[in-house]
Amino acid sequence: MMLEAYAAGKRDEIHTDVLLKARQACYKARDAFYSCLEMQSDKKPTEIGSVGLLYPTECKRSRDEYVMNCRASWVKHFDRQYCKTKRTQRLLDDRETRRGV
Amino acid sequence: MLISRFIFFSANRRLARAPNLLQRFGPSKRIQSCGYVKSAKNNYKKPTSHPVMNVETQSSRSWSAYVIPAALLGFGGLVAFLHYNDERRAIKKGQGNNRGYGAVAAPIIGGPFTLVNTENQIVNEQDFLGNWVLLYFGYTSSPDIGPDQAQMMAEAIDTLESKENLKVLPVFVTIDPQRDTPAQLRAYLKEFDPRIVGLTGPVSAVRQMAQEYRVFFRKVEEEGDDYLVESSHNMYLLDPKMKVVRFFGLEYNAEELSKEILKELKKHQPKAE
Repeated sequence: MMLEAYAAGKRDEIHTDVLLKARQACYKARDAFYSCLEMQSDKKPTEIGSVGLLYPTECKRSRDEYVMNCRASWVKHFDRQYCKTKRTQRLLDDRETRRGV
Repeated sequence: MLISRFIFFSANRRLARAPNLLQRFGPSKRIQSCGYVKSAKNNYKKPTSHPVMNVETQSSRSWSAYVIPAALLGFGGLVAFLHYNDERRAIKKGQGNNRGYGAVAAPIIGGPFTLVNTENQIVNEQDFLGNWVLLYFGYTSSPDIGPDQAQMMAEAIDTLESKENLKVLPVFVTIDPQRDTPAQLRAYLKEFDPRIVGLTGPVSAVRQMAQEYRVFFRKVEEEGDDYLVESSHNMYLLDPKMKVVRFFGLEYNAEELSKEILKELKKHQPKAE
């Protein structure tokens, strides 16, 4: 039966980059990168990250740390989430400056 | 034949008079209609003068004469039918809903499954009978939601066991069986709680179970071996008979989860005894 074959045949390879330690390292690098972005928000973003995220050259090093510590799909996921929150934040903040919106 | 014609004529006269009365506000119209009716009456009084026209007008008029009584009868029949239906469906005062509010009026979610656990043993739902089960469908490569949910599950189980002394079995079924081997699951779940049972298996078995539990999952952002799995994040609470009692979405945290599970258990206790 298929199940028996499955139980017997799978090799014992573990992806360690999703286990606890790796996850925490990834989260730390991610937070460092985003705080760098916040700090340098007045600088002009010239570098392109993934999924349309732009960041200034000052944050390049933390970006590299971040990309090294996390999986590519995770990087994309977090970047997308960050852009979304930034956009909603901008919409909420603009309420005072814009009229009639 | 003359008698029948007379009956038709009297019926028609009644009909002709009714529109006459209605046209009271149009004087010119009245005169016109009067004239028309009078001429028709004159026609009828002399049946032999215009036989062809008589027959024609008679047949058209006879059909229109039947419309209103037929409509009235039909309407009466409809009213009677509805009334009868209402009487039949009415629940008498006092009987009410005997099942009470505990019954789950929902589609039956769940079903038999056969998967492999972290010790490479084949497991099916019979092995879980008699336990309360908290079931979660996730995968180890989840960036943030998976670990959060697993952590929450572990915390809730812990709270229930230490404070209320209630045993609920946490089960983590992977929706990414191609990457999550039993060894991978074991290493992953060990970090949260050793009690969490991990289940995986061949893709077809996992897909069948997900279908039974109405869980949606899909690979996204695929780049070769690196992908995320989008899924409907739901945690299912099953009673000892393996029936789905409740499901919890992402908005619950550990305390709320343990509180809700406690509520469900207490609700089902009297029935068990």
